[in-house]
Amino acid sequence: MNTGNGNNGERFTGHGSEWRDSNLKPEEAQIATAWVEQVINKRSMETNKDRVKDVRDEMWQLEKDGEIVVHRINDEHQPRIAKTIYGWDKKVPTTQLWHHKSCGQCGNIPGYPASLLWLMNEMDIKYLDETDQTSCTAWNYHGSGIGNIESLAAVFLRNFHQAYVSARAQGLPDGYFYPLVHCGTSFGNYKEVRAYLIHSAPLREKVKKVLAKLGRLVDGKLLIPEEVVHYSEWVHMMRSDIAQRQTIDVSNIRATIHPACHVYKMVPQDAIYDDNILGGNRVAVSTGIMQELGTQVIDYSTWYDCCGFGFRHIISEREFTRSFAIDRKIKVAVEEANSDVMIGHDTGCITTLDKNQWIGKAVGKGYSLPVLADIQFAALACGAHPYKIVQSHWHASATETLMEKMGIDWQAKKLEFEAYLKEVEAGKIESLYDPRLAITSGPGYQRIESK
Amino acid sequence: MTHANSSRIQEYIGDPLSDSPEVGREKLEEIFQDIQADIRFDHELNGCLNCGICTATCPAAHYYDFSPREIVQLLWTENLEGIYDAMQEKIWACAQCYTCAARCPFENSPGGLIMLMREAAIKHGMESAKNVLRPFSRVMLKLISTGNQLSPDMINADGFPDWGPNISKVDAPLKILRQAIPMPTLNTTATAWEVNLTTSVELYTIWEETGVLKQLETIDENLYDVILDIMDEKREDLEDWEDEQD
Repeated sequence: MNTGNGNNGERFTGHGSEWRDSNLKPEEAQIATAWVEQVINKRSMETNKDRVKDVRDEMWQLEKDGEIVVHRINDEHQPRIAKTIYGWDKKVPTTQLWHHKSCGQCGNIPGYPASLLWLMNEMDIKYLDETDQTSCTAWNYHGSGIGNIESLAAVFLRNFHQAYVSARAQGLPDGYFYPLVHCGTSFGNYKEVRAYLIHSAPLREKVKKVLAKLGRLVDGKLLIPEEVVHYSEWVHMMRSDIAQRQTIDVSNIRATIHPACHVYKMVPQDAIYDDNILGGNRVAVSTGIMQELGTQVIDYSTWYDCCGFGFRHIISEREFTRSFAIDRKIKVAVEEANSDVMIGHDTGCITTLDKNQWIGKAVGKGYSLPVLADIQFAALACGAHPYKIVQSHWHASATETLMEKMGIDWQAKKLEFEAYLKEVEAGKIESLYDPRLAITSGPGYQRIESK
Repeated sequence: MTHANSSRIQEYIGDPLSDSPEVGREKLEEIFQDIQADIRFDHELNGCLNCGICTATCPAAHYYDFSPREIVQLLWTENLEGIYDAMQEKIWACAQCYTCAARCPFENSPGGLIMLMREAAIKHGMESAKNVLRPFSRVMLKLISTGNQLSPDMINADGFPDWGPNISKVDAPLKILRQAIPMPTLNTTATAWEVNLTTSVELYTIWEETGVLKQLETIDENLYDVILDIMDEKREDLEDWEDEQD
């Protein structure tokens, strides 16, 4: 049956075989569904709720009551204020940042964090990248169900406590570094867990015992961060500063944005919106930096869909992941938006959308769309080396076509990188920071006083 | 905070075509009580008018016999047999994107409720959970033993043939390519970043104290044994290092 949806008879409606098309004329269909489009593509779809509370109010009260200690964002962190979906203020620290890395980014798309650190170096931002951190463990949890609210909370509090005390290794005071979370799932998970910790005294009591065993309490209390901050929020608040360092004109680039579910659908009241960015109807991060750099950001009909990652699905139910990624995202971005690049701000999305294009050829869906994180694109536009810094060789998608359109001679850069690999083999390894700073305690630690 | 501990529906409501439930009523109640006892339950289930907006926006509903609306209805009406049935397969279809939660006018979180059901499926050692999680065991091994979920050496062409011919478009040994990442913490192959030994050992305490190892033992005894060995080894390594400092 030809359903007229361009899918050669395949149905993605979930309604079953009894479903029949209405056979409306296009103009009738437009009238019938116009009201839906007016509602679903608007920010009001997320804000039309009755019982939304700002969890931070309760957090400050708990601190007053002597229940917790709040890790504050102080003037030394040079915060900038963003507006969240309800118009609430959110403080985003811009310096003295503790990089809470992402296991998926570091394992699979290492140019993602490397581009971030490179841009921070360009802007003299102080930061620490250290070995004393675990992943948030939420990828495993959402994929398998192994874990629970207590384990997630304990990992959150443990990692954020380490961020709080990490500067001691350099002879600096507690609270000097503020955590900057790289992964979208970590960001969503940590915010959800923070809310449950604030709401639930029994949870606090249980987890406090675990943190006490680890020596991870402050004055005998749990340490809760004032804000949980995602790197894309830092990029967003720094977008003008980044654009000042731009060396490549990207006004010819048509970009589609894939907003990450765990960044703005999980704890949506904390996501940043800006009335000047797509009318305030889309989460502002990523779109903001791409517009600031001068690209053409193209809206597309499936912007709201997830990428298909699915946590367990990308490992062991890949048919779902690749079908969803191709049919609902890549195909639409190519055919509808004529996109040159799809930009994301989360680990799983970049992996899914980047890696799952090649297999499409097997079913005649040979779409080719470069996929990068916003910070990788920004680094390229600011002159970062496409291989040494952006590490584009780990991307399966055709990043080369994007680089050609940006005027980057990727073949020459690739030769430079291959020559650099010989130096690496000989032990001449370049680093974005003093490697000794990466170990703050335990085996291998050497004390280095901060200048 | 308080949470529900009583059933709104006291009488048995089951499949009228079936003579008896596949699993005893007592067991079904126990499973439901485990789901209901989680502190998140009352935050994530607030009512349901069957509007279906969750299912309309659900990626998994496109491809599986799965509907978040159905899951919410089963929990809301306390349909114990239906809940048990859904735990055999349907709950594992969810992609955990939380689109349903963002859209629900009642502020339910079907995706969050699914997690409570998955945890209960593991706690009760359901065969369906064991089967579903078997291919995921390498990820669990990596995470629980190192604190990293994914490592560069897990991503290879044999494991991911559908990702195309090149894991890296520059042909060089993995070790050299990783050393060429300008972040010293990332010059690793067996973990995504170098994890401090003390950090891993702290994580083991978290696993022990929060019941995660117990979950693992229920679902995969062999994996549990392997992880215990690794934990012992790393703890000994740390003790040796600490002795050297004295």
